[in-house]
Amino acid sequence: MIKMDVVPSEILVRYNVKMEKEMSPEQMAAELYPKGDLIRPIAEAIFEGEEDDVVEGLKKAIDAGKDPVALIDDALMVGMGVVTKLYDDGVIFLPNVMMSADAMLDGIEYCKAQSDVPVVPKGKIVCHVAEGDVHDIGKTIVSALLRANGYEVVDLGRDVPVDEVIEAVKKEKPMMVTGTALMTTTMYAFKAVNDKLMEAGINIPFQCGGGAVNQDFVSSFELGVYGEEAADGPKMADSIAAGADLGKLKEQFHKH
Amino acid sequence: MTVNRYTKMAYDSADDMVFGHSKFPVKAGLGLEIGAGYTTAEVNYAPRPEAGASKEKLIREYEKITTDIMERMIGIGAPSVVLETEHVQQMTNNPTWGGEVAAAQKAIMEDFHDEYGIKCALRHTPGDIREERDYLQLRGDKYSILMESFEEVAANGADLLSIETMGGKEVFDHAILRNDVPGMLYGIGVLGTMDMSYIWQDIAKIAKKNNVVAAGDTDCAQANTAMFIAGGLTSKDLAHTLATIARAISAPRTLAGYEAGAIGPGKDCGYENSIVKSITGMPISQEGKTSTCAHSDVMGNLVMQCCDLWSNESVEYHGEFGGTTVQCWSETLSYDCALMNVALKTGNEKVLRDMMVLSDKYRDPQGYMLSYDNAYRVGQAIVKDGNDIYLRAKNAAIECVNILEEGAKDKLELTRFEANALADAKSALVSLTDDKDQFMSDCMAKYSEEVKVFRPENYGL
Repeated sequence: MIKMDVVPSEILVRYNVKMEKEMSPEQMAAELYPKGDLIRPIAEAIFEGEEDDVVEGLKKAIDAGKDPVALIDDALMVGMGVVTKLYDDGVIFLPNVMMSADAMLDGIEYCKAQSDVPVVPKGKIVCHVAEGDVHDIGKTIVSALLRANGYEVVDLGRDVPVDEVIEAVKKEKPMMVTGTALMTTTMYAFKAVNDKLMEAGINIPFQCGGGAVNQDFVSSFELGVYGEEAADGPKMADSIAAGADLGKLKEQFHKH
Repeated sequence: MTVNRYTKMAYDSADDMVFGHSKFPVKAGLGLEIGAGYTTAEVNYAPRPEAGASKEKLIREYEKITTDIMERMIGIGAPSVVLETEHVQQMTNNPTWGGEVAAAQKAIMEDFHDEYGIKCALRHTPGDIREERDYLQLRGDKYSILMESFEEVAANGADLLSIETMGGKEVFDHAILRNDVPGMLYGIGVLGTMDMSYIWQDIAKIAKKNNVVAAGDTDCAQANTAMFIAGGLTSKDLAHTLATIARAISAPRTLAGYEAGAIGPGKDCGYENSIVKSITGMPISQEGKTSTCAHSDVMGNLVMQCCDLWSNESVEYHGEFGGTTVQCWSETLSYDCALMNVALKTGNEKVLRDMMVLSDKYRDPQGYMLSYDNAYRVGQAIVKDGNDIYLRAKNAAIECVNILEEGAKDKLELTRFEANALADAKSALVSLTDDKDQFMSDCMAKYSEEVKVFRPENYGL
């Protein structure tokens, strides 16, 4: 057995321990929840990722006269905003966000079912995994985060032929298309997607990320914007919605 | 072939486990014996994407890669080397392509062996192509093509056969994003093990027929996915304690390959291999500080502790200041091996091993659990119920939790978040049944409902 020993702090620094916040995530979230007896429980349930509680809260609010469609923005999105902020601040982790996203989507569907007024998404985005690549966990995360942030996602799945991406973009007219790939051998399909989009005169941002994909590669084609983390998906969409063009997106997201 | 489950440890104590020595060394290729008292570099590479345009270009690319590596090995006086070709999809989907690449590589290696006497072997790792666009298709038409691929490479020059199987991944991908420990247990420990037991019997048959080595597998598709999502210390995508539990559960899955006929060396990216070696006594390949060209892992030195082959995971073939990438990395690997081999020859192997372990043991929970003393404990927990694929995976997870809890009371610092995730995982684990049939039945109902791409027939269920 190991006979020698070390004092770990003389060898390495556990920066995550050193930097951990004093307050617990629940305490920090409590300071961010919206006011209002009907709204706050819904936002709390989103944070906790409890679908049943979200729907129960929505039901109470609607029974009390709240507009189902308005609740999407006023309660669900606000709750998800708390989740997103605490994730960005490094307080909560991705599985918490995913569980909140699941609860958020159930809540949106419930609100939609309670109203005749159509819900207008913040924008439409086409997501896909590169042709030849079946590793789709990255795309699953990006899609969930986009949906939870109010965007409509057209999910083309994995191993998507280049021409199918182009056809979907022509048909859906999205504000952005995303592509994820794990392998260096498949990421080259992104360049083909870029070239065919440009041939068709479609100049929308093409967010690329995942596994072995890097900024140098994505920078090598005109429409490419590198998404280093899945959470960059909704951030990029928000920037586009706020009017950012390709140049500004690259300035914002190309960090290396 | 039959499946023989492990119910006892190969080593009497953890301290007996060192790099370069295994209980059951493996002879392979041209004069090489793996785990027989020395370590050897295992070089991995990926062709440039444009080389995949045709079979001829691909073969030419691998000829260049092979020649570059062998020349550099001679140039620096390395006594031995293993080359691993992880197939690009075209090579597995067109089995004769893989066979022709293997033949071309082996011809070059034979020339170098004949001229210089360098000991060398060629590992081929066909891709796990058993899937359709939307679903895993583990036992369908693609299975036959995959087996043809193994036949072709085995008949044409590959000395070691490996694969990185995907069984259980559809449930695991769902579970890991939801902190769902029973789902991780089901995906890796049960479904993954069932698929491994199935496929490795056939790979072992092919190896036997062609007089080559059925080497081994890895839980790359799951435990490494968890490790990569968990990322570095300040990454916020997954609690490192959960990724560590996923790793512990991956050991009985990887073990299943050996129970179905594999004999080592296990695949480099199986960070669970120290646990597996403690049970099988068979040689392993590992990667760590030398695979930073492919990914980060927070335990670059520790993972060398019991390796028999030392690998760089994968690097795209292109030029660097010091030569081509495969030349640079094969040289780096070989110097690491030279240091380990000096330690072995001078009787200092346990000192070097422990120095490598201690440089990383407290860096991250995963390194702490994989430290050979703790890895051995997980091995013991597995073989205690070795015949029950559910119970042994659960045992591994619970022993992992115990190890981390003990570490946290000692020198292993955990964040509150990591400690909470560990406590939640423990709570989920201790509330699970000990009855495999009950667990299977519960999971079948739950994941058939929750995971739309889960197809029980992939596992004969």
